Amino acid sequence: MQRTDLIGRIGILALAVSLILPSVARAQNAADIINYKGPDRQKRLEEGAKKEGQVVLYSAMIVNQAQRPIAAAFMKKYPFIKMTFWRGDSEDIAAKLAAEVRANNVVADVVEGTGVGELIVQAKEAQPFYSPDLEGVAEKYRDPAGLWAPTRLSYYSIAYNTKLVPPNDVPKTYEDLLDTKWKGKLAWRIGSSSGTDLFLSNLRLAWGEEKARAYFEKLAKQKIINFGSGSARTLVDRVVAGEYPIALNIFAHHPLISAAKGAPVNSQLMNPVATTAATMIIPKSLRHPHAAMLLIDFILSKEGQQILAQANYFPVRSDVPPNPKVAKVVPEKNGYKENFVGPDKLNSYTVSSEKIYQDLFR
Amino acid sequence: MATELDVTDAAEMARQSAVRAKPRKLQFSPLVLLLCVILAILIIPPTFFLVDVSFHTTRPDGSMGDFTLGYYKALFTGRFFLPALINTAIYAVGSAVVALALGVTQAVLVERTNTPGRQYVVLGSIIALGIPNILHVVAWLLILGRSGPVNAALQHAFGSAVGINVYSMWGMIVIEGVNFVPLTFLLMSSVLRATDASFEEASMMSGARPLTTFRSITLRMGLPGILALLLLVFIRAFESFEVPALVGLAGNINVLTTNVYQSSRGSVTPSYGDAGAYSICLLIIIVALLYLYGRLSRNAHKFQTITGKGYRPRVINLGGMKWGASVALLVMFMLVTGLPLLILVFTSLQPFYDGVTPDAFGRFSFDNYREVLGPGSFRDAIANTLILGAATATLVVPFTALCAWLAARRRPGAWLLDQLASLPLVFPAIVMSVAFLYVFVNLPVPLYGTLLSVIIASTVRYMPYGMRYAYAGVLQIHNELEDASMSAGARRSSTFLRIVMPLLATPMISSWLLIFLLAVQTVSLPLMLVGPGTEIVAVSLFDLWQNGQVTELASMGIAWVCLMTVVSTTFYYVTRRYQLTI
Repeated sequence: MQRTDLIGRIGILALAVSLILPSVARAQNAADIINYKGPDRQKRLEEGAKKEGQVVLYSAMIVNQAQRPIAAAFMKKYPFIKMTFWRGDSEDIAAKLAAEVRANNVVADVVEGTGVGELIVQAKEAQPFYSPDLEGVAEKYRDPAGLWAPTRLSYYSIAYNTKLVPPNDVPKTYEDLLDTKWKGKLAWRIGSSSGTDLFLSNLRLAWGEEKARAYFEKLAKQKIINFGSGSARTLVDRVVAGEYPIALNIFAHHPLISAAKGAPVNSQLMNPVATTAATMIIPKSLRHPHAAMLLIDFILSKEGQQILAQANYFPVRSDVPPNPKVAKVVPEKNGYKENFVGPDKLNSYTVSSEKIYQDLFR
Repeated sequence: MATELDVTDAAEMARQSAVRAKPRKLQFSPLVLLLCVILAILIIPPTFFLVDVSFHTTRPDGSMGDFTLGYYKALFTGRFFLPALINTAIYAVGSAVVALALGVTQAVLVERTNTPGRQYVVLGSIIALGIPNILHVVAWLLILGRSGPVNAALQHAFGSAVGINVYSMWGMIVIEGVNFVPLTFLLMSSVLRATDASFEEASMMSGARPLTTFRSITLRMGLPGILALLLLVFIRAFESFEVPALVGLAGNINVLTTNVYQSSRGSVTPSYGDAGAYSICLLIIIVALLYLYGRLSRNAHKFQTITGKGYRPRVINLGGMKWGASVALLVMFMLVTGLPLLILVFTSLQPFYDGVTPDAFGRFSFDNYREVLGPGSFRDAIANTLILGAATATLVVPFTALCAWLAARRRPGAWLLDQLASLPLVFPAIVMSVAFLYVFVNLPVPLYGTLLSVIIASTVRYMPYGMRYAYAGVLQIHNELEDASMSAGARRSSTFLRIVMPLLATPMISSWLLIFLLAVQTVSLPLMLVGPGTEIVAVSLFDLWQNGQVTELASMGIAWVCLMTVVSTTFYYVTRRYQLTI
């Protein structure tokens, strides 16, 4: 036992020495590379990326519909880079990256997800970068500190079963949800920062604490069903099946996709519409800074955003239209007010919103 | 059994030598020490991580912060603790009763009677084990949910006011209990097969009725197996999450796991403190339970029915009752395998699921299968997944057989083997994944991100299952066979390889298949440990679970079950060819 310990320690020490020395130089280098703004930027990145030969993306995007097509298109554009990806939940990604950073064994070059970027920023594991393609993205979705870039937007709404909720009864405002006829018939998703917490944070940010609290106290009397495990998509399927007439705070486009196949479900936006962005960050001590920058440029480019739009994600670029099948829920194009809950607010409000949930709704 | 003759001869010699020599006692067993060290290397790092996170806050960068007892305090003092504890106890006892009642009945009918159709129960159980746990729960919610066929039928018959609410305690108990039936059946039938039926015959000949015989002979003889099962099912119920979260929470029923889950949402940084504290408490409980179970093996000779005499399980003729027994088996088959599969097949053929209605039958299409099985999806991942399952099972089974044998024969220090190998049972999947993540990412050897690292972690995760199978098996083998072998000059290693292993073949084969089926469907462990570019089917399942529609999830599930059925039946017939049965 002791002997194994000793061997292990020597090994780790040797590894540490061999890694720390070059990595100091590497960090300096990487910062220069990913912030370079000169006219020969593209040429330099491509030359560097040729030597690196690969790039790794950690992302919460669906593999088949988003990550795989992005990798295919990216490798077609840059045949000298082999792109691999790993898919996980925001929490999984944050845990994996934290472990890699602490072990000084960072595999990821670009990390993408909702909420995860902010966790990494808070852990001081992200570094600022520059991409000219951010020009195509509206100011409000950008980070002034340059630590993250948005990749895709999400809009949240209620889903309702069209057989169980007659057209005239569909709640159109948050006040409408307080009608006693909905008592015990509303469900929401707990245990995820994009579920209950986002619902509460959205109204707190839009209305102020006092008004929001008064509303929550009334809403708590509705005895909302706490949908415990499973995704927002699963909850919408329950609405389709008629288990719950109405679900709160689900992804607004999910009911539309089901409705297109004939399912008895629809979504209804409410003012203000909670909106979030998934973001990309570059971790410290990454191995392939040139290729990472090319990948970020690509995902932010028109081509990259069009691939995401095809996968029913909402593009962040104003010049890429959303998929027509789901365009109906883009708030500003349909007369609704969008409340963009940025990554910083999403995370800083989650803890206090969770407390409100625990006090009133559990 | 091929070794039967040698065994009988050897036993004869043993009897002669037993008079002369006292049973050998080892003062110190280097083998036990070696195995302990291997286990410790595998199990201590995640255990240490568990203890560490339960006593420290977690900083945003994932490092440990200040020392705290807060997680333990929160566990026991919250206003939800007591109701959750009571609910958990009801849930654990209830699901254990359901699982044992159905599983043991199946096993007795299959192994001890001439019920027609009994030979298909094994196959049904294996197919059921191939259904990933999450899908099993989803299937039952589709069947028993508000819009499901059961409620539709009830409302059709008795009016719209009548209906059942599956989001309740009984719903949780039934779903979890039924989910465990294949496991209880397989373990019990391997126990029963190894039990000498002559005791039962003696009982019947003395005039006892079948039920009395069953109660006072069969059940008692199978006690090690039944207790091992109780232990597994009970502990599993204490740490199960899918059923409490999907079924319980929607009906506002909190058990301890969902309580911990809800409390741990207080921070955005991934923190495993609450889950860690809970697992540490479970760890203490399981150590206590194993201690009690270990005491049982002190009286192990009571259950040793595989002796040198040679044994042949014999079949009880049920006479006219045999058709009734067939119906009972069929009903149980429908509960465990048939109904969940039927509803999944039905759902997989629908563009969306809104109940089993006449309209729905007009909507059948194969679109979901085209979507899920199209190019670039799980087809690429199948090879890796099968390697993962097979390697895990192949590592766990012989290793646990050796550990269980040493522990059951009470070699010095061997009790520790059982304790160590059983610890992973209580590790919450996510905590274990993160713990192994830290281990592998820090290793000087480049294991991080490889399939091998997943295999190692998965071996640790399923060790307890192999251990319980093997232990129950060993307890039934009488020492005299081994003593005979040793007196005849065989070394301990050849005794284990040539006497114990062949006698353990039946439980070991069931154990292999079970671990294979469980290992290929785990999601969170491979998800955290595989690196970019290594594809595992579990990740596709995870994708669908997170973002897919239930219809797509169902079609993936059915494709998966088909694949697992092919693998399992091949395995089943190959082992039969070599005259080994599951």
